[in-house]
Amino acid sequence: MEHKLLTEHYNKDNYKSLEGYKQCGGYETLKLALNKQPKELVEMVKASGLRGRGGAGFPTGVKWSFLPDNNEPRYLLCNADEGEPGTFKDRMMMEKAPHQLIEGMIISAFAIQSHKSYIYIRGEYTDSISIIEQALKEAYKQGYLGKNILNSGFDHEMDIYVGAGAYICGEETGMISSLEGKKGQPKLKPPYPAVKGYLEKPTVVNNVETLAAVVPIVRDGAEKYKAIGTERSAGTKIFSVSGNVVKPGNYEVPLGYPLMDMINKLCGGLPPGRKLKACIPGGSSAPVLTAEECEKACLDYENLMDLGSMLGSGAIIVIDDSNSMVDILSVIMHFYHHESCGQCTPCREGTGWLDQIVKNILHGKGRLQDLDLIQNISQHMMGKTICALSDAAALPAISFVTKFKNEFIDYIQQNKISSDNLNQVV
Amino acid sequence: MKKMIKCTINNYPVEVEEGTTIIQAFKKLEQEIAHYCWHPGLSIAGVCRLCMVEIEGNNKLQIACNTVVQDGMVITNQSQKVKDTVRWGLEFHLINHPLDCPICDQAGECVLQEQYMKFGAYQPLMSEDKVKKRKVVDLGSKIVLDTERCILCARCTRFTDEISKTKELGIFNRGDRSEIGIFKNKPLENDYALNTVDICPVGALTSKKFRFQQRVWYLKKAPSVCTGCSTGCNIDVYYNEEGLWRIRPRHNSSINQYWMCDKGRETFKHVNPSGRLKSSFRHTAEQTEKMTTFQALQTLKLDSKKIGLVLTGSYTCEEYDAFLDFFQLHSIYHWKNNPKNFEDYDNFLIRGDKNPNTKGLLESINKRQLKLEDCTQLEQNISHLDLLIVCAPENHKLYPCLEEKINLFLKSKELVWISPHSHTLLQKPINTVWTIPSKTYFEKTGTFINHHGTRQKIKAVASIVDSARSLEEIIHILKTGQTDLTQIASIRDKMKTNYFMEQKGSL
Repeated sequence: MEHKLLTEHYNKDNYKSLEGYKQCGGYETLKLALNKQPKELVEMVKASGLRGRGGAGFPTGVKWSFLPDNNEPRYLLCNADEGEPGTFKDRMMMEKAPHQLIEGMIISAFAIQSHKSYIYIRGEYTDSISIIEQALKEAYKQGYLGKNILNSGFDHEMDIYVGAGAYICGEETGMISSLEGKKGQPKLKPPYPAVKGYLEKPTVVNNVETLAAVVPIVRDGAEKYKAIGTERSAGTKIFSVSGNVVKPGNYEVPLGYPLMDMINKLCGGLPPGRKLKACIPGGSSAPVLTAEECEKACLDYENLMDLGSMLGSGAIIVIDDSNSMVDILSVIMHFYHHESCGQCTPCREGTGWLDQIVKNILHGKGRLQDLDLIQNISQHMMGKTICALSDAAALPAISFVTKFKNEFIDYIQQNKISSDNLNQVV
Repeated sequence: MKKMIKCTINNYPVEVEEGTTIIQAFKKLEQEIAHYCWHPGLSIAGVCRLCMVEIEGNNKLQIACNTVVQDGMVITNQSQKVKDTVRWGLEFHLINHPLDCPICDQAGECVLQEQYMKFGAYQPLMSEDKVKKRKVVDLGSKIVLDTERCILCARCTRFTDEISKTKELGIFNRGDRSEIGIFKNKPLENDYALNTVDICPVGALTSKKFRFQQRVWYLKKAPSVCTGCSTGCNIDVYYNEEGLWRIRPRHNSSINQYWMCDKGRETFKHVNPSGRLKSSFRHTAEQTEKMTTFQALQTLKLDSKKIGLVLTGSYTCEEYDAFLDFFQLHSIYHWKNNPKNFEDYDNFLIRGDKNPNTKGLLESINKRQLKLEDCTQLEQNISHLDLLIVCAPENHKLYPCLEEKINLFLKSKELVWISPHSHTLLQKPINTVWTIPSKTYFEKTGTFINHHGTRQKIKAVASIVDSARSLEEIIHILKTGQTDLTQIASIRDKMKTNYFMEQKGSL
């Protein structure tokens, strides 16, 4: 069953306007929050069990509490540079409910006592940009932003920053570099952004969905939010389902929801006559699941990890038997080759190398030893770089080649036969 | 004083200051650790991923350059896990690197080549096509870039960002298409640009002047001090039997750190045999007489003459002392390279005083309570002198006023010109001129005192012009009337034969 906690009013036409949002109880939670102690709010989010919805799944309240206790200015950054292939939930949230995000951000900013925030939006999301721009104007006009918000004495300024189309700027320190006007490249950690982030000041970076989820947590209380989902994966999550299903789209379900129910009950199953072959549960960087594994899979952080994959950003890519796994891996490898920032050697060289090998296999120039080579390259790309892009390229490569090895061997051998024949003819 | 903490590196216990990074601790222990991007004089980039270490209790390997030593840490880079990772890190570096070592200028001092040989990575795993990038990219008048050889360690960009602060270089594009480059119409022309060639671990950045001149393994290097200005940067001089070929900075944390200016790198040419004064001469209006230095000094006849002395800051303290103790001088003049910008300083290394030992000269004068007059005073006094001795600059190029001053000196009744170089103006005088060849910094032992008052010893490396004499030796000849110089210990050093003359085998 869908559990519409965030997306409850998304079908209302005027929900994206301030008026429409207020009709549904919008900005009431902000009033509530401004009457609390900031520390109380941090504890509340901690108690709710909310985890980062951008991909890493780090507990949000804990992240906030890493900020040093000093008088330095701090920044709240909203990561709306949604770039993980298969993911399109943030886009919907910004287009359907911009004020929900803004309200969540003001509450979060109050909780961490930040007076300046930026929403870093992916450049291709032109609609989101104009809708958020409009919503910010309305919020400023109504006194939800600016000086002395709702007479609480709390000041907060919010701005938009538009990215220039790099996947790597979705990585939090890459995003900070980009926001600082530099080339969008991840920074060495430590220092972590909570200590030295944007402009070397303490910074919190949260995903759109994470910040929006702060609203129902503060409104209904941490207990109520924690009751949704599983023990360690609390709350609801919006999943972007794409690929071979009858009804692709965004679906909000409690965490722990079975994957097959998502595919069959909510998305109308696979197209007639097709059979499920595989599924990528958390965006293109998550290891692929076979059809058998899908039967066991539940959509929460722990269960998918036990299956050797991850929840990631919640992008479910459904693959049926009409697709070639070599073809799909080739697309994924091309993507990471194209998007590697080029700082760290294993990633810069490894992504290009993997891309070439998989392309060769696809084009009939593969060798059997390439399959071991892919494994080896990937193993040595993982955990060896500044950010996780290298891992993001290595994980699918390993899982595709291990779980669908025969398909790769078929490509290599069939083509070998044909090229041998060719030689004889020559 | 900082707190000291203990850790163990490859089973050796070591104590380091709190805040030390693991790679610094490795260096302190002189334990080998592979690295390309880390440079002690630059910020940490952490991108080559080669300095991986295993820390007990941490499952994930860490980079040594960005990890601070904690008390009690047990660190190793000798485990199989680390070795495999480094081996693969090298493989990643090599897949798109052209294996053109035989024609690469960096060969012999290339860290990538060193690792490649160490790991014996002769069979590349990559059979795919290499990424094609730009070759022979002109970065300005001094440096050429080969982007295919570049391993993107970002040392050069960090140098122009942090040290020269001129920001000419950047990394353009991304992924394996990344390239070092300059902005349009902004060539790499700053005064310190050639340091990027030094710190480039591979043959991507090469000096236009030095490339294709010599194979580095045929050169020998010796430590010395730069004589290009009064900063006194520590240098290594690279030479062979033909002479000097290049100068590179040597680390000295209190003077030049890891760097030197591009002008300083040029201060070897005047040492080389071509253009050097190779024997003494006596020039008169009528004739030119070639003679040995001994003969020249014999013909001077110093007794009861009124002698004036012109000194420059090119000589060692010991030479000044010997000279000032020996002569009964009427007056002493200080010849500066350019009085107008003598005190200039670019707030990093370059100073307007183009002499290595002006401080030493002043010290020798002050010790004897002598009076040092500015060279401009000579104009009025020159007619009162019988003999003028000029200890001319070692490197004439650094003295823009050279000809103007020589014309002034020629007004003297008798002139003794002591320098490694002569000048055409000196060869057709109205009066009598002796030209006596002196030694350069490469050929003598002594002390320089730099701008800050730091005393630095230089040592004779080899002789370039056999007939050249230091001021000390000249005084010795004048004092004893003997040519045998082996009695002075410092002179025995100087008479060392050129290493290459003896050692040179068939190439």
